[in-house]
Amino acid sequence: MENIEINRNLATPYFPSIKFEVSTGVCEISGESYMEEAYKFYLPLINWIKKFAEEEKRKITLNIKLIYFNTSTSKCLLDIFEILKKYQEANGAIEVNWYYDKDDPDMVEEINDFENEAELSFNIIEF
Amino acid sequence: MHLKRNHISNPTPSEYRDTDSLLFAYEGPFFIDMLTMLGKHLKTLTSKDTSIQKKLFRVYIELTQNVSNYSEQYVQNGNNEKNTGIGEVWVKEDKNQYHLTTRNLVQQKDANILSQRCEIINNTDFRELRDLKRELRKSSTDQKLGARIGLVQARLISNTPLHYTILEENRDYSYFKLTVKFNKNGEH
Repeated sequence: MENIEINRNLATPYFPSIKFEVSTGVCEISGESYMEEAYKFYLPLINWIKKFAEEEKRKITLNIKLIYFNTSTSKCLLDIFEILKKYQEANGAIEVNWYYDKDDPDMVEEINDFENEAELSFNIIEF
Repeated sequence: MHLKRNHISNPTPSEYRDTDSLLFAYEGPFFIDMLTMLGKHLKTLTSKDTSIQKKLFRVYIELTQNVSNYSEQYVQNGNNEKNTGIGEVWVKEDKNQYHLTTRNLVQQKDANILSQRCEIINNTDFRELRDLKRELRKSSTDQKLGARIGLVQARLISNTPLHYTILEENRDYSYFKLTVKFNKNGEH
């Protein structure tokens, strides 16, 4: 498998930066995410995580550092959490670290909603 | 590129022109790059209060993307690209609040559905609204999330009721105007 690296472009700030390293199993999503048709952007990442879980069978660490995402992105995040949940149920190791801005109470509420919805436990970290 | 105007020959003009508290207004296709540029401007205009700035930007994106996705006037982009809705967005500021408004053409039947949804959202407590948001997100398909989740988000984030107006243009179409207000100084 190959690493994924999509760097943020100032001309298109609605796409986040994504890094997924095969050697460490660490995936990081950061910046803002409010593109149209979010599923088209996230589908390769979703497929990649599925493949990593099936082939590598190592720990997956997901670091989320999104300062804003739209509802269409939130559906894609939920899809990723569903994959992680299934992986965990099959004895795969996962860790989700969700970083948030302390001056953003709406984001904390959103993260709590995701925890309930995905039935996963997140490390919620201030940054 | 082709414009679909749906035969509105003399559209009702917006009232944003008649105000001196206007921060900005835009009328035209809601291309993502245009929304991004206006969103950046909105962030600058509200930078003195970062809490309001974040809330306004979040709801601004949800409402404008609803217009972009569902307006009955749109730009056909071709090549299997999604159409881009045409509409209006403006932001006003008074002593106590910011007012974010979008306006776009909808079919009559959708105008009725939208107004019913706004009423339900306004009359539902926040715990139930959060449950509804989760339910909508979970039950939607990858490609169709629907406009309703954006309306729920607007109510939850602003902590104020949704204000809507339906302006009938002809037998088939109406303008749907939606305003979300944001209280300053943390007065929610």
